[in-house]
Amino acid sequence: MVGITAPRSGLARHTASRLGANPASPWRHLDLVLVGCIGAISAIGTLMVYSATRGPVEPFDSSFAKRQALFVLIGFCVLLAAAGIDYRRFRDFAPVLYGGCCLLLALVVSPMGSERKGTQAWFQLGPFQLQPSEITKLAVIIGLAALASHFREEIDARRLGALLVLVAVPLGLIMLQPDLGTALVLVAVGAGGLVVGGVQVKHLVAIAAVGLLFTGFVLNSDMLEDYQRDRLTVFLNQGGEGQRDEAYNLEQSKIAIGAGGTFGRGLFEGSQTRLDNVPEQHTDFIFTAVGEELGFVGAATLLALFAIVIWRVWRTAQLARDDFGTLVCVGVLCMLLFQIFENVGMTMGIMPITGIPLPLVSYGGSSTLATFAALGLVLNVHARRFS
Amino acid sequence: MTNDTPRLRIGIIGIVAVSLFGALFARLWYLQVLASPEYQLQATANQQRVIIEPAPRGRILDRNGVVLVDNRLSYVATLDRQRLAALEDAERTDLLTRLVAELVPVEATLTVDELEARVASDRFSPYTPVPVVEDVPESLAIYLTEHRADFADVVQVDARAIRSYPFGRTASHVLGYVGAINDEEFASRRDSPDRYQLTDEIGKSGVERTFEEDLRGTPGTRVLEVDRAGNTVSELSYTPPVPGHDLHLSVDVTIQAIAEQALEEELLNARERRVSRGNDPNVAPAGSVVVESTTDGSIVAMASYPDFDPSTFTDGIDQTEWTALTGEGSYAPFTNRAIAGQYAPGSTFKLITAYAALSSGLRAPADVFHDVGSYRIPNCSGGTCIKYNAGRTPYGNVDLAEAITVSSDAYFYEIGARAWFERDRVGDPIQAAAELFGMGADTGIALSNELSGRVMTPEEYAARHEADPEIFTDGEWQAGDNVNISIGQGEMLTTPMQLANAYVALANGGTLLSPNIALRVTEAGSDVLVRSYEARVIRSVPFDPTWHEALMRGFAGVTGSEEPRGTAYTTFSGFPEGFVVSGKTGTAQVAGKADTAVFVGMGPAPAGQPPPYVAAAFLEESGFGGVAAAPVVRRIFAPIADPSIRPTVGPGGVLSEPLAESADPLAGGDVLD
Repeated sequence: MVGITAPRSGLARHTASRLGANPASPWRHLDLVLVGCIGAISAIGTLMVYSATRGPVEPFDSSFAKRQALFVLIGFCVLLAAAGIDYRRFRDFAPVLYGGCCLLLALVVSPMGSERKGTQAWFQLGPFQLQPSEITKLAVIIGLAALASHFREEIDARRLGALLVLVAVPLGLIMLQPDLGTALVLVAVGAGGLVVGGVQVKHLVAIAAVGLLFTGFVLNSDMLEDYQRDRLTVFLNQGGEGQRDEAYNLEQSKIAIGAGGTFGRGLFEGSQTRLDNVPEQHTDFIFTAVGEELGFVGAATLLALFAIVIWRVWRTAQLARDDFGTLVCVGVLCMLLFQIFENVGMTMGIMPITGIPLPLVSYGGSSTLATFAALGLVLNVHARRFS
Repeated sequence: MTNDTPRLRIGIIGIVAVSLFGALFARLWYLQVLASPEYQLQATANQQRVIIEPAPRGRILDRNGVVLVDNRLSYVATLDRQRLAALEDAERTDLLTRLVAELVPVEATLTVDELEARVASDRFSPYTPVPVVEDVPESLAIYLTEHRADFADVVQVDARAIRSYPFGRTASHVLGYVGAINDEEFASRRDSPDRYQLTDEIGKSGVERTFEEDLRGTPGTRVLEVDRAGNTVSELSYTPPVPGHDLHLSVDVTIQAIAEQALEEELLNARERRVSRGNDPNVAPAGSVVVESTTDGSIVAMASYPDFDPSTFTDGIDQTEWTALTGEGSYAPFTNRAIAGQYAPGSTFKLITAYAALSSGLRAPADVFHDVGSYRIPNCSGGTCIKYNAGRTPYGNVDLAEAITVSSDAYFYEIGARAWFERDRVGDPIQAAAELFGMGADTGIALSNELSGRVMTPEEYAARHEADPEIFTDGEWQAGDNVNISIGQGEMLTTPMQLANAYVALANGGTLLSPNIALRVTEAGSDVLVRSYEARVIRSVPFDPTWHEALMRGFAGVTGSEEPRGTAYTTFSGFPEGFVVSGKTGTAQVAGKADTAVFVGMGPAPAGQPPPYVAAAFLEESGFGGVAAAPVVRRIFAPIADPSIRPTVGPGGVLSEPLAESADPLAGGDVLD
């Protein structure tokens, strides 16, 4: 990619031409496979949110499902918007976006933010909640991509320091909430950006070593609340005593998925799901509803759809016309991959329990919209690979 | 850096992605395909709760259908654990404090700590409310129900069936009581199809215990679908409980109440009686009387004193009550002395000795023995070699019937001695006869904790000494021991039940029966027969007609000979006209205490007809049998013979009129034994 200098193609150039007439027109290169997968996953997600929240007996509660459907509809608008504006414009706005997010993060831990379950991560806006950490993921992806592409792979220690600080500032603010899950997503995004952004191997090794040491130090210090440590370590001693809430959550989660068997217990027929045996099922543990009611066939299909999404994003990263596009796609890929693996992994007991939603499936507006926006950027990069 | 580096690095990320998805698929395959069956079981267990609903316990009725034990509704204040757990600490303490204030009038000792302890106890299922106070008055039950909201819906009042006893303490030993199942009882019934639970009640004594399986019924089961918080979502299935069967006893509640009253009054009388100088005072703390039908061995009345109030147990028994019932000076009110009291039978044993003499050929009915008031044991050296009649009274020439009537000890001493000296020829005829009449063995009555008395043979006597020479210092059976047991003293022990049963075998002409306490079991509240209990013959006791005639004549003389020669003549004087009672007095010596007064009566029957009942009364530390025990039997038999003087039994077991007194035996100058 070094040496390829793509002229900036502004939106204005295209508004004049009729859609589709120009062979390089972005809309002719829309990644329909990716769009199809996004639609399918969102549909499954909305359905499973309904199953997880309708309650055991009539009258069934459809309010969560309706709101999630609304989020998906808005999400598609956001997707189109994010795909429609030339992604290279986002590079120009990266400092504003990044700065704005850091400001919001600072405000949310101030008394203006709202707290729920010990985490201060929301602004209450009428009936809706805004979770700045979700937008921050995008801001970091764009900001990191912009800065790394600006450095053009000539990254010395000073530049590396700049990249690290770029990730570290929002990460630190998020840890103040505290929201360990989102912080870990930023770590994954940062790692992806540094690897593909051209950081030297010796630096990567050094960062990895320091990261591991730091992790070990944190786990053995008082920096984490007890419940956070429990969540992180409960999967390491499953069936052990202590850590009752977390262990219970994990146990119920595994029972739900295991009870689904090959073909599932049928939609709305899963007792774990219907009887609310899995805490937080419609949000972080939504995969258990899929596992129990749709079985291995359904759950594997969902994972396959996710795999296709990851593949399309990865493919776009390679096809991108410029470094910035590549790095944006890598950031989105790392974000999605980490969230999917962490979320599904924790429901099956192979990853620690952290509060990370399953993209497009878990109930939640901010997460859904942020995911749509991120995928919109990828579509954007894909569609503009020739222009 | 080469141009390929970024592409290579994107490739690495791709490999990472593939690996992570591979891990997810593998884990998913494991959970949903390989390990699924186990998780499915766990999901089902998660989803369902089985609630056992106890069945109403069967009623217990007397032989005429009068209800002796019923069920009544009782209100129980309960706490909902889950709702309580949801409260803040301060709120919880406040609620419990207010609740205790409401409940203290019912249960004065209740404290908040006690409530907390109950809630924390694992005796109770988390899905059923925890009972805190039983038998709450209806007014309070209504108050608590109406003010549910004030107690955050935590307090509930449940109605449940508990045992009620219309006749109070009457027949308490026969009926027994029910109480919370203990760990041992639970463990032994863990696999019972009747599904016992740790909160269940179970029959602890009496027929409540022995007929537990009939009375208990079959608990119902309710299978509920519950959510994570344990809230009921729906009912998956319900099998209603099947009430326990009704148990029809052979006891007649009227005769039972009369027997108890007679026993108690005569014990009180005995305490008042002055005793001769040098004798131990009459403490008369306890006693028992059994009335058994001679035709089928059914028990018409069985009284034991002191008794207890079975309803004490329906709301749980506290430490104070328990101490009062079991502590020193309580004389073990839970012991049914009719089957678990073991006494030397005294002269009532002469039936056995007489039978031994007749069956072994040591003596014929008409053989005359010259009674000089004492008997010298042949070949005796040291110890007591001369044995005396009571009061050293000489009776002159006595045959078998006369010896029984006047209670000539000397007549029987000689039988005892001869049985010993002719042992090579006759064996141990007294012990053999005792066993033939059912002594030394359980009678087989359907009541728990029956003791079997003791028939001591020379061999057992030696073996006992050998096994424990510290306690049993003597192991050599001698003529004197045989002489002692010939009049029911010494090593011979019987229960009142055994003695009555032995005389039943005499009264009915030679059939030893196993006594029945129940007549039949029917389905709850109906006449549909589940099981009936017929007379159970243990063995036949062969009687030569001449023996039987002589024995019966002798026993008839005790209570009603033409001249006042019998040992219970005065007591039975003025007995309802046309009815005959025969019997035998006994006075058993107890070291360091006043004598046990014993009387066994057969009757009441018109002259010439077989006696329908045998009644055996034992009064501890009460003096002469003819004085203290015979009036008990007379006062039971008189109203049986004459319905016009028979009181009726009202609520609480109170008799409608006082029992007719018997004549004062001391005023009549009876020959005492």
